[in-house]
Amino acid sequence: MSIPRYLSKMRGTTRGSPPRVSNAEVIWSWVGAALGMGAVAWLNQHFLTGSDFSLMMGSLGASAVLLYGAPRSPLAQPRNLVGGHLISALIGVTCWQWLHQDPWLAQALAVSTAIALMHLTKTLHPPGGATALIAVIGSEQVHASGYFFALIPAALSPLILLVVALLVNNIPNTRRYPEFWF
Amino acid sequence: MAGYSRRRLTFSGYGGLQAMKDDLEPKGRAAVSQTAADANVSTDVELSDDDILEAMRRIPGYLDITTADFRAVYELAHAQAIDRFLERLRAADLMRADIQPLSPDLQLIDAARRFVAQDLKSLPVVDADGRVLAMLTETDVLRALGARSLLALLLQDVDREATALKRILHRPVAELMTTPVVTVPEAAGFRTIVDAFRRHSGRTMPVVDGQLRLTGLLLRKDFLAACHLGDLP
Repeated sequence: MSIPRYLSKMRGTTRGSPPRVSNAEVIWSWVGAALGMGAVAWLNQHFLTGSDFSLMMGSLGASAVLLYGAPRSPLAQPRNLVGGHLISALIGVTCWQWLHQDPWLAQALAVSTAIALMHLTKTLHPPGGATALIAVIGSEQVHASGYFFALIPAALSPLILLVVALLVNNIPNTRRYPEFWF
Repeated sequence: MAGYSRRRLTFSGYGGLQAMKDDLEPKGRAAVSQTAADANVSTDVELSDDDILEAMRRIPGYLDITTADFRAVYELAHAQAIDRFLERLRAADLMRADIQPLSPDLQLIDAARRFVAQDLKSLPVVDADGRVLAMLTETDVLRALGARSLLALLLQDVDREATALKRILHRPVAELMTTPVVTVPEAAGFRTIVDAFRRHSGRTMPVVDGQLRLTGLLLRKDFLAACHLGDLP
């Protein structure tokens, strides 16, 4: 590839960004996220403490953006939401258990392998990368829970978000969720 | 994604068809009879970024797709739909195969009997080997009578027409027929057929094999009946 061709790619393909959504969409995104995050935060405070709680809520906040802000996105579908968090958590726990003597390596391989496996299983869900990482960088409490971490909070939390998404995203005429289940 | 960044959207389905046509057309055919395949009409539809953005604006909710990705998906899906549509239309499948053609030395009165018997208004004229030489149509006969249409004939002097009619009844088809003739190969698809119909005013097109021998007759009405554009997305 020539240098000018390479550099010209950095100019982008399109002038201007996609259109803004309507005010009604903004309100429904807000309502869904408020209810979903409220429910999952209330639930997780029973299982997680301190930094573990903060880290996990960060990952779930990202899921909420997709689920309530872009419910049509392939990344926001149930298969991706639940599958992405679950598979990534399993990878994260495995990476910690095998490589905890080299935390930096465990972190790198947890996220990269999670992405690869989400691709292979058609469950790509960006917050899954965070969940894989949390299994490695979490507290001793997370490490001690082992593969149980993949169930609670990693699989249970997205299930809560999913229920809220099903209830809220199907109220307005202009929205529906999901596009597909599996 | 380099290939997707072009600004013009073309019916790329036609590209494959063109290549297929090039394979099917023996060189030098035009010297014998005019075929339709060499007509090259560009069929570009421009899908601007604004068109895509406007469509996205009309769909409520946030669409997790970039304009370039949408263009790429649309282009490929559309090409596939066009291909599927064009695959269905082949001259050989649409033509009427059991046609009794004319020969150049046939007298007009006998030719007329074949027209009536087959309920057709135009027939191909073929040589002894079955190769298409020309077409003879009702319009050709009217022209021989000095009229451009049946209604024009009605307005002319009746006695004079009766004389003219008797005079041409026994003339050979070769003196009245239209050349050169526009034919299509049996494998001709949608675009070749449309081009051929565009290039002459006739309603009927002889279909020929590789040796330019007549294999059937493609009627414009049969072709149009086969075009269900509703199947396109």
